[in-house]
Amino acid sequence: MSMIKKKKNTQSQLPSVTENARNFCGQKRTILVIAICVILALIAGVIIRGVNLAIEFDGGTILNYTYQGDLDTNKVKSETEKIVATPVTVRTGESLDSDDLQLNISFTTDEGFNADKQFALTEALNEAFPENSLELYDSKDVSPSSGREFLLKCLVAMILAAVLIIIYIAVRFKKIGGWSAGICSIFALCHDLVAALAASVICGFEFNANIVAVILTILGYSINNTIVIYDRIRENRTLYPKATLNELINLGCTQSLKRSLRTSITTIGTMVVVSVVVLISGYTSLLSFSVPLIFGLISGTYSSLFVAPVTWSWWMGKKAKKSKKA
Amino acid sequence: MKKTGKLTFFIVAAFILLFTASTVAGFDYFYGDNKTTVVKGVDDIRLGIDIQGGVDVTFAPADGYDATDEQLDAATEIIKARLGALGINDNELYSEYKSDRIIVRFPWQAGESEFDAQAAVKELGEMAQLTFRKGTDTETDEEGNIYPTGEIVLTGGDIESANYVNRPDSSGNYEWVVTLKFKESGKDAFTAATAELAGTGTPMSIWMDNTMISAPTVNEVITKDSAEINGHFDNESSKKLADQINSGALPFKMETTSFQTISSTMGKGSLDAILLAAYIAFAFIAVYMIILYRLPGFVAVLAIIGQIAGTLAAVTGWFGFMPGSTLTIPGIAGIILSVGMGVDANIITGERIKEEIRSGKTLDSAIKVAYKRAFSAILDGNITNVIIAVILMGAFGVPSSFFSKILNKTVFFMFGATTEGVVYSFGFTLLVGVICNFVFGVFAARLMVTSLSKFKAFRSRKLYGGVEK
Repeated sequence: MSMIKKKKNTQSQLPSVTENARNFCGQKRTILVIAICVILALIAGVIIRGVNLAIEFDGGTILNYTYQGDLDTNKVKSETEKIVATPVTVRTGESLDSDDLQLNISFTTDEGFNADKQFALTEALNEAFPENSLELYDSKDVSPSSGREFLLKCLVAMILAAVLIIIYIAVRFKKIGGWSAGICSIFALCHDLVAALAASVICGFEFNANIVAVILTILGYSINNTIVIYDRIRENRTLYPKATLNELINLGCTQSLKRSLRTSITTIGTMVVVSVVVLISGYTSLLSFSVPLIFGLISGTYSSLFVAPVTWSWWMGKKAKKSKKA
Repeated sequence: MKKTGKLTFFIVAAFILLFTASTVAGFDYFYGDNKTTVVKGVDDIRLGIDIQGGVDVTFAPADGYDATDEQLDAATEIIKARLGALGINDNELYSEYKSDRIIVRFPWQAGESEFDAQAAVKELGEMAQLTFRKGTDTETDEEGNIYPTGEIVLTGGDIESANYVNRPDSSGNYEWVVTLKFKESGKDAFTAATAELAGTGTPMSIWMDNTMISAPTVNEVITKDSAEINGHFDNESSKKLADQINSGALPFKMETTSFQTISSTMGKGSLDAILLAAYIAFAFIAVYMIILYRLPGFVAVLAIIGQIAGTLAAVTGWFGFMPGSTLTIPGIAGIILSVGMGVDANIITGERIKEEIRSGKTLDSAIKVAYKRAFSAILDGNITNVIIAVILMGAFGVPSSFFSKILNKTVFFMFGATTEGVVYSFGFTLLVGVICNFVFGVFAARLMVTSLSKFKAFRSRKLYGGVEK
């Protein structure tokens, strides 16, 4: 008895669907133009800077040695090239964690530079520079074929994830036209990935394992953001069975606006803290994780609130028009 | 439905705090000098080699040789034995038949400052020296290396194959034995040696490099081209010995297709930097949540502590039913992502409680309705993350892991195992973090907020972001 009374109570208190709702769908053109312009600008930036694939994906060899005294880098270069038989880049620098000097040798060979060859190279260098007491600090060698395989495997994993997510959304949001909603959420996700990847390229980071972690994180956040808004639209559909889709979208986005911004402040804030701490402490290898992620998260906030729902409204509008004509 | 009483808050909060304390501190005691670890704490977390430094290497047969499964098993045994001989006992070793790969990872061993990684890895991949010798005599050289001195009867090249079979002995009892088949080159030498050793009690020893792998006594003169080793084998030990003997006849050596050494100081510094950032970010989130959502915000902070503790507990192996995992830098990113999802779940409900209160509901029904309505969004968002986590664990897990077995036989059939275990670690912490999010961020938080709202002191609508009626 009391249950029924309560329900009636909430119904009577419902404000109208347009009350307090901002008109997101009315800004369709502005929203999509901004999104497309930003993407185009970022892609242009990527083309200008050029993608710098790290050896995880491209194959290659990097050897870091610590050394003492003075070292003639040109002589190191010629000695190494004698053994490696391809052009070699040699740099020197200072180690982060001690006062040791560091020698960095990098090159790419067709088949990779396996442990046997590395051992021989170290022997030869020690023979050529006995005073400098070279010692291996860290090293990385990936053969080009296994690098490409890793890249391909990452791509397949992401495509599989995208397909499964579309299916999941299609099933869970059947009430509001699931397939198109799922595909639009993946479209918004691509928008965010482009933003993060382009930011990474434009900042001059190379594509390494960190970028895989960035992509994965954005995959999770972006889809989650979009789903929270879809969920609100789905709920509004039950509350306002007579409202048009655009009205529902407008209301859902307005209701989710605060939550989206507040969640984004915590996640982006966390990544800003990580970036600052890493910059101050000098362990900058993590910057190629945190900085692209910040851009991806900013883009994710924009795309889940605007791009995904508005693209979806546009799609459903087209579909409605078509069925009317027919 | 069960009534949530005033007591519930204290029970749930105490549970979270006790759980967190036991996860962080662990539980161990000293009996004399022996430390017994009952529950592993954060100090016992196995850090990945990207943090503590070490070697990550993938071997494949040289010159693209297509090895059979037996040959790869034999090659794996060589590497296993050599790791032992080098004193590298803390290692991970996986082999994968499809792509003929063997993946080895090990951290720098404590106290090893003069360790030459390039030389060690070069040695791991080399062909094994298998010898059959008379007796088990050894000598020790100046550097303390022990090597065999018995007269060599056969070498690996004289052996056609070794196998392990389960067959009945003369009295009809089934037992595991290792059978050997010799090449022409080895047959006569073996016959002569068995003639000399039979009945003397002096064993014929079998060596892989400088490690004795078996020393059977010779019962009778063997004139055929085959022989049998028996004596208390089980399935596993007979297979191991057969693989080891086969390793001496491998027609290829193992080469590295990817080889990485990571300095132990670089990763440690990065870890310290991340931890510092995590503390600052947590403090910021805690203050932010409490200011924005007051009482539900405070509960959210407790829930997030529980969630982080739950994820760390899964990594340390706190839960007896599942083994722990290695924590890598992407693994920490996975924790950050799942904590973000946890914060988000609490923001969604916090906003909902405010909204329902402002729509004029009573406090009790506002809380009830808010948790109910917020749940579907939290569920769908988190399930998509579970999908991502499972795919990652399948695609980049070690060949023997559960998800990997399923996915690698279907979607990723054209790929071999990869060394990027770091990506697996991201999937692991994300999956566990999302599960903990349901337990703490949704279930425990609802219990705590509902329970607190029963107290007179906490009935003010202002505490939930509403306005006083």
